[in-house]
Amino acid sequence: MSLLTAYTRTLMTVAVIAITTVFALSDLRIASWEALEAVFAWSETTVFGYIGKTWGAAFAIVEALHLVGLAVLGGAVIIGDGRLLGLWFTDYSCAEIQRGAQRGFFWGLMLLLGTGLFMACGVAMKIYYMPVFWYKMLALGTGILFAYCIRKPLLTTQPDQLNAWTLRLTGTASLMIWFTVAAAGRWIGFSG
Amino acid sequence: MLNELIHQAALWLDNTAASTSMHESFYVYNWVETTHVLTLTLSLGLLLVIDLRMLGLAFTNLPATRLAQRLQTPMFLGFAVMFITGMALFYAIPVRSSQSLWLRIKLLLLLAALINALVFHRHLRNAGPDWNNAVKAPLSLRRGAWMSIGCWVGVVICGRLIAYDWFDCSKNPAPLISAFVGCINGQEQF
Repeated sequence: MSLLTAYTRTLMTVAVIAITTVFALSDLRIASWEALEAVFAWSETTVFGYIGKTWGAAFAIVEALHLVGLAVLGGAVIIGDGRLLGLWFTDYSCAEIQRGAQRGFFWGLMLLLGTGLFMACGVAMKIYYMPVFWYKMLALGTGILFAYCIRKPLLTTQPDQLNAWTLRLTGTASLMIWFTVAAAGRWIGFSG
Repeated sequence: MLNELIHQAALWLDNTAASTSMHESFYVYNWVETTHVLTLTLSLGLLLVIDLRMLGLAFTNLPATRLAQRLQTPMFLGFAVMFITGMALFYAIPVRSSQSLWLRIKLLLLLAALINALVFHRHLRNAGPDWNNAVKAPLSLRRGAWMSIGCWVGVVICGRLIAYDWFDCSKNPAPLISAFVGCINGQEQF
């Protein structure tokens, strides 16, 4: 029982990976994808879908705000992960840098999700058939889980007791995940 | 006169083999564009962090000038990559880009952002060390931070709008826009 308490996050992470693997390799993935078609078709009929499809200028401005959200989130991630990698602010603890970056990360993410939802409604059926869109969603889900279930708790509890390599690996993993999210998002634009 | 010179220079660039190759290469063009966009996180991302710090909205636990000083090098590195990839994107489609309304507004906003940055740095030097640990920077620096955010959001919006052809010369825009973007009578359409 004490083992379960001590390694709750690790066990939860392993469980999520196991569930995702089973989901990805079974027929459940195709069934879920087919079931989501109706949701995507419906989203094109919503107000967001209507505006996105009718007013190109509105869509373009929301796209630009999506990029601003990416910049805010990216800035917060780069500073936080740069500290984990020991590139800068080494005279401050990882927890202090993490605390400072937290608000920027959260609002950047909110802006990304809000504008992303609007854009998705405008081109819902197009992205539904794009594999790269689903890769991006997978990477985004991984990024959010990693940030809030692994990185943040790791750094806010006892970061000074952590091995330097644990910090470096956490920073590297975080940078790689968010780079994948951003690159996959850009690639959606080239896949139309 | 100036527009004709720009047009001639753009035509010359357009006739170079490398420009055509880059424009026609799916992967090279898209990789350059992706690098241009993703470097936003390094350049604009770090700049916004500095601006938000001045406004008391992020990293209030760190001294403002120290944060600004330490982020300068990676931020300028990001801007350098953006500048190089931006030039490459222009080189790939020189005629249309040189006559883009949005690119011209973007360049004006970049100039405004540059002037604002210079003024901001002067205020930063003159502000003294007393406020450094305060949550918010002095008013002059906060104004500069808002100006910076406004200019850069405008730059990103204009950059995104370059892809749209609403005001291209081939669409015969209104005379005022046509004069501003430098459409040439009888030019070949791009």
